[in-house]
Amino acid sequence: MAAGGGGGCDPLAPAGVPCAFSPDGQAYFALASSDGHLRVWETANNRLHQEYVPSAHLSGTCTCLAWAPARLQAKESHQRKKRKSEVIGTSDQVDLLALGTAVGSILLYSTVKGELHSKLISGGHENRVNCIQWHQDNDCIYSCSDDKYIVEWSIQTCKVKCKWKGDNSSVSSLCISPDGKMLLSAGRTIKLWVLETKEVYRHFTGHSTPVSSLRFTTIRPNESQPFDGITGLYFLSGAVHDRLLNVWQVRSENKEKSAVMSFTVTDEPVYIDLTLSENKEEPVKLAVVSRDGQVHLFEHILNGHCKKPLTSNCTIQIATPGKGKKSTPKPIPILAAGFCLDKTSLLLVYGNWFQPTIERVALNSKDTHICLERDISNCWAPTVETAITKVRTPVMSSEAKVLVPGVPGHHAPIKPAPLSQPKEVENKRKLGSNEASIEERLGAMGLDRKGRKDDLLQTTSFPVLLTQGLESNDFEMLNKVLQTRNINLIKKTVLRMPLHAVIPLLQELTKRLQGHPNSAVLMVQWLKCVLTIHASYLSTLPDLVHQLGTLYQLMESRVKTFQKLSHLHGKLILLITQVTASEKTKKMPSPGQKAKLVYEEESSEEESDDEIAEKDSDDNWDEDEEEKDSEKDEGVDEDNEEDEDTDDKEENGEDRDGSSEKELNGDSDLDPENESEEE
Amino acid sequence: MVEESVRVVRCGGSRLNFRRALFSADSKYIFCVSGDFVKVYSSATEECVHVLHGHENVVSGILLNPNNHLQLFSCSFDGTIKLWDYLDGILIKTFIIGPKLHALFIPTRAEDSIFLTISKEEPDIFQLVSVKLPKSSSQDVEARELSFVLDYVNRSPKCIAFGHEGEYIAAVRDFYLSVYFLKKKKTCNFTLPSTKNKKNAKNRFTCVACHPKEDCIASGHMDGKIRLWRNFHDDKKYTYTCLHWHHDMVMDLAFTVTGTSLLSGGRECVLVEWREGSEKNKEFLPRLGSTIEHISVSPAGDLFCTSHSDNKITVIHRNLNASAVIQGLVKDRSISTGLMVDPRTKALVLNGKPGHLQFYSLQGDKQLYNLDIIQQEYINDDGLIQIELVKAAFGCSGTWLATVEQRQENETELELQMKLWTYSKKTQGFALNTKIAMPHDDHITALCFNNAENYEKPILVTASRDGHFKVWVLADDSDIYKKAIGWTCDFVGSYHKYQATNCCFSEDGSLLAVSFEEIVTIWDSETWELKCTFCQRAGKIRHLCFGRLTCSKYLLGTTDNGILCCWNLLSCSMQWSAKLNVSVLEPDPYSDHVAAVSQSAEGSDLFVFKPSEPRPLYIQKNVSREEVQWGVFVPRDVPGSFTSEAYQWLNRSQFYFLTKSQSLLTFSTKSPEEKLTPTSKQLLAEESLPTTPFSLILGKHRQQQDSRLNETSENELIQLPLTENIPAINELLHTPAHVLPSASFLCSLFINSLLLSKETKSTEEIPDDVDMEEKEESDSSDEEKDFTEKAQETNTTDLGEDVIHQLSKSEEKELRKFRKVDYSWLAAL
Repeated sequence: MAAGGGGGCDPLAPAGVPCAFSPDGQAYFALASSDGHLRVWETANNRLHQEYVPSAHLSGTCTCLAWAPARLQAKESHQRKKRKSEVIGTSDQVDLLALGTAVGSILLYSTVKGELHSKLISGGHENRVNCIQWHQDNDCIYSCSDDKYIVEWSIQTCKVKCKWKGDNSSVSSLCISPDGKMLLSAGRTIKLWVLETKEVYRHFTGHSTPVSSLRFTTIRPNESQPFDGITGLYFLSGAVHDRLLNVWQVRSENKEKSAVMSFTVTDEPVYIDLTLSENKEEPVKLAVVSRDGQVHLFEHILNGHCKKPLTSNCTIQIATPGKGKKSTPKPIPILAAGFCLDKTSLLLVYGNWFQPTIERVALNSKDTHICLERDISNCWAPTVETAITKVRTPVMSSEAKVLVPGVPGHHAPIKPAPLSQPKEVENKRKLGSNEASIEERLGAMGLDRKGRKDDLLQTTSFPVLLTQGLESNDFEMLNKVLQTRNINLIKKTVLRMPLHAVIPLLQELTKRLQGHPNSAVLMVQWLKCVLTIHASYLSTLPDLVHQLGTLYQLMESRVKTFQKLSHLHGKLILLITQVTASEKTKKMPSPGQKAKLVYEEESSEEESDDEIAEKDSDDNWDEDEEEKDSEKDEGVDEDNEEDEDTDDKEENGEDRDGSSEKELNGDSDLDPENESEEE
Repeated sequence: MVEESVRVVRCGGSRLNFRRALFSADSKYIFCVSGDFVKVYSSATEECVHVLHGHENVVSGILLNPNNHLQLFSCSFDGTIKLWDYLDGILIKTFIIGPKLHALFIPTRAEDSIFLTISKEEPDIFQLVSVKLPKSSSQDVEARELSFVLDYVNRSPKCIAFGHEGEYIAAVRDFYLSVYFLKKKKTCNFTLPSTKNKKNAKNRFTCVACHPKEDCIASGHMDGKIRLWRNFHDDKKYTYTCLHWHHDMVMDLAFTVTGTSLLSGGRECVLVEWREGSEKNKEFLPRLGSTIEHISVSPAGDLFCTSHSDNKITVIHRNLNASAVIQGLVKDRSISTGLMVDPRTKALVLNGKPGHLQFYSLQGDKQLYNLDIIQQEYINDDGLIQIELVKAAFGCSGTWLATVEQRQENETELELQMKLWTYSKKTQGFALNTKIAMPHDDHITALCFNNAENYEKPILVTASRDGHFKVWVLADDSDIYKKAIGWTCDFVGSYHKYQATNCCFSEDGSLLAVSFEEIVTIWDSETWELKCTFCQRAGKIRHLCFGRLTCSKYLLGTTDNGILCCWNLLSCSMQWSAKLNVSVLEPDPYSDHVAAVSQSAEGSDLFVFKPSEPRPLYIQKNVSREEVQWGVFVPRDVPGSFTSEAYQWLNRSQFYFLTKSQSLLTFSTKSPEEKLTPTSKQLLAEESLPTTPFSLILGKHRQQQDSRLNETSENELIQLPLTENIPAINELLHTPAHVLPSASFLCSLFINSLLLSKETKSTEEIPDDVDMEEKEESDSSDEEKDFTEKAQETNTTDLGEDVIHQLSKSEEKELRKFRKVDYSWLAAL
């Protein structure tokens, strides 16, 4: 199974390091690296299972390895009388691993106990062991060596059972037939031996270089004639420096001895795995790892001659991702590939032999060329601790998206309001807003005029800065303005800012509110001012719901924590402002617009005035509208207004919707309080 | 596989932390009790080497045989003590005691007597008794003569310890430490002064350990203190010192072999080593993961091991470095995530260590790894409310993993967090994609992905008790700075403010079913419109699932009051319903079968049916006596080949289920005989290791001895028989001990085979010696075989030398007679 070969001083030594998957389920992957260490990896979680250093690892490096067939083990299968449940463990346990060394000894290593089980030396090889094969039924292993001999060992006694000369040159590879009665050996020529008599049954010739791998590919011949156990079977061979894998058929004696067909790969094969075909229709699947680090997959129904070498159905390559412009993708060599039990997925071992990565890849694509992008540079380097505790920590990078209540995406976007007809809702809002807008615009105009008169003298550049900052999206300029703590200044700035900047300002504030809580405290002041001062303007906007949806959600989620408290707070504010307002109205009998303006300037309770003003405005709505038609200035669609004018009556009824906005304002009032309390 | 009988079998192993683990004399193996079995693990590779099965009830104690360290005693609730050869996994002897045995003690100096804890007639009262194990050659020996030693002992073996040289027994119970001197037959009782006045004093005794060299007893207490008692031979002059580091109860104590340090552990998950019994001099091994329940020390002194509450054994090096972890299926906390299958690795996924998801390989029957989801250091403390991983789901063939963690301090304060992880193929690991704080205002009751293949964009639905279900979609929210995709909420649905309890997608992903208490709502997954509602006013919906493949037009639901309903989605009507109190409803994703486990007073029954017809295909009564909490279908790697209709549901996948006591059960088709492979079929490989330099030196020494012997007897020309060449000896040595006839019977044959035909020898005085030798031989393992064989060789030469000069003619005759004894029966073995 394993491709032989260690360090490559010999030009005819096969490439690659000796490695093998454990039989029956491929739970482990054993790899004997050229530093003399044997490492066994768990394929399922890519964990180093154990590491073993033979005592003579420097003089006699491991040249080949082979897993013993799975040992059936009686495990936990006692049936209990009373309780019905019984216990099973894994039915088969793989244990022994045979290692051939460069000095001719064979080590049997127990992977369960983690120690050397026995060492086969006496009467064995005198030179480098090239290949080891376990017999599937009886307790024998076969080994071949550079000393031209093939040795049959008994595992029970650890003694040589038989030793015979296999070839005139070194014997490089072995394979046992499916029925266990024949043995293939390969040196210069491929020979088929009868195991009982140790006589040559057939010769095959074809490869010019030492054969590095031999595998039987079929269990039963395709022909329907009676089967004697060997005739008609196909086997596969790969050789050093040979890009062709030959397929041979065992046939009656007088027929030709050359290869039946061949597969071509891009480089010398270093690891071969195949699925045996169990019936006529099922193709043989072949995975060949070539020295250049690619896997070639073949799928072919073996049926007689084929002159032209077959090319692979699919090629798999692995490369590093090319990060940016600096590094170009680099190929990652594949060390071994094995078919999983289900025959439709492949276990790939890639990377360096010190820290290979084992991955299961499903073979379902029809592409002829698959290039997998893998990043093994920062592949978790297992510290001893994690290797023991088996804890894996998934990556939690700061790039991950974070959704907290109030951030867009945490809740469904507003547009499809649940279970109600979204269009109507929008209409309502529009209408409600429209009326407010007209009324408000008057007020706003008034404010502006008034403001100009009074404040121009002591003006600061804040409103200008703010608008400019918003227009140019200049972060620093905005910071300068928004990071002020002076409430009066904030109020004045908000008062004097142009209306078209209100929405951008709100959006900017929303963005900042989602940021750090400390900065959010400041933003809340701004938000409060904007909402109280420009509430009426905002309510004129037709697409307000869209534009401020996230803000609304944000506020809602923030306020939710102290719902009752905020309710109380809101009511109290309402009460107090009404009281003060009524007191003030008593004091100052002059009604109308002028009085309104005066209040705003002098007191810190403008909000209250505003609210009252709005309420007043509700009552004398219709009158205002006509007046305002003339004064449309920025930002409001004429069309909308006209529409709305027509459905005037309805809207009045719906007017209270506007109050939802107000509630919103009320809530926002509470917001800063809560925040500051928390602080 | 053709054999058509299906049985319920357990997998994932049972508890490993029931009793202290035990090391073999050379520290290569660790033994631990596990249900009815004793498991032998390799301390180096964490692999299970043998499972010793033979007990018929829970094994409650194990100890090495002090006379032969290659043998192991085990006692069990079934009232027997068994003696094992653990290297070969062979039962040597069974001693039948009678009553339920709770613990087993063998003091170092006691010849044949074993001390046992048994329960008296009344419950919860336990006695320590001693029993002499009779020497007998038969396999089953009755030993019912119990001599009473101590009354009112604690059931736990941690509360009894034998003093150095086996002179006294220290036993603790509640607030008393009693020391019983075996020779004087005197008991001294000690109490702590503070306990006399306070009723609920916290310094109740929890465990006790005795110093191996000195007269010193260490006791652990509930309040975290360790007391070292000295001078306890006197009722009044006794002294004790106090060591205090633990803030919670001391779970176990152990002295190292030399007695220089004391190890203690508890709920803090920290192993504390107290050097020289002083409070200042201590070392720690922190972060062991979960509560330390037992501590044991290897006889060689190089390793410790701690058994933990999460079903693992940590092997710790003498320098306090963890070197290996033997981990079963983690069984510590409640399984709230249920059972899932990772579509990529086909591993079973469920709650693992606190804050982790464990990936458990069912094929290999071992834990793959724990995935740290919460990523916070776990502080094990009583009364501390932890963040718990409550829900998890895989989506899109394993590319996405959604996890929900929650922490609830009290009714009103709930912290929820949902994390969406993506499996990065590049790095072969999970990476966080989106973190959502408080995705809902109340507990999340269900979580499901739309796993239909024809949908490019994955959809996740969460249902919550706050009356909403939220639909999350993967959206491209790339701003100018980063090109990231993340999850955002797409839709929030509710139905009359009822609590959403379950959700699931149909197979093709076009429909979403959400149950709101008693009402099932069907939503179109394209437009999120409510399509229709089904109402089963009988009770709240407990499970909900769509049929698969040919039955995809059916929706199944179970209710709290024990009704299983099947609705037809085409006609929007109920197809059929059955009265069945279903505790688990699980559809097989690879076939149209659905498994339902119903709960009744006697146990749990399994029903497998197709939604299209109300008649079950397969019924297995009483799969478990306990309540079954979770179930899952795991796809098979290689499809099964059942032909009979009743078992066809097992072809594509295998059904695993988890009971309340967290044992994982499944259905196996292999017969028990098949599992119990006869030893002859196993691959037996001789251990033969080349001589080491050390053995070369020894061998040289021995050779010199031999040669000297040879010189002296040169004139006699003794040719020693090579033991390997004599078939009788070979067979005797290589036959397992348990199949051999009694040693006395074999003795003469064996000796005969050693004799040289030419020599004249007397066999008269040999038998006794050889009998012993042979016994030793059969007990020893292959490992030691080389050595014993060698020893024997030298021994026989000695004998030969002695004997040769003393032989008389009559004896010679007798000897000849012996030679004729037929030992052909040996060949028949």
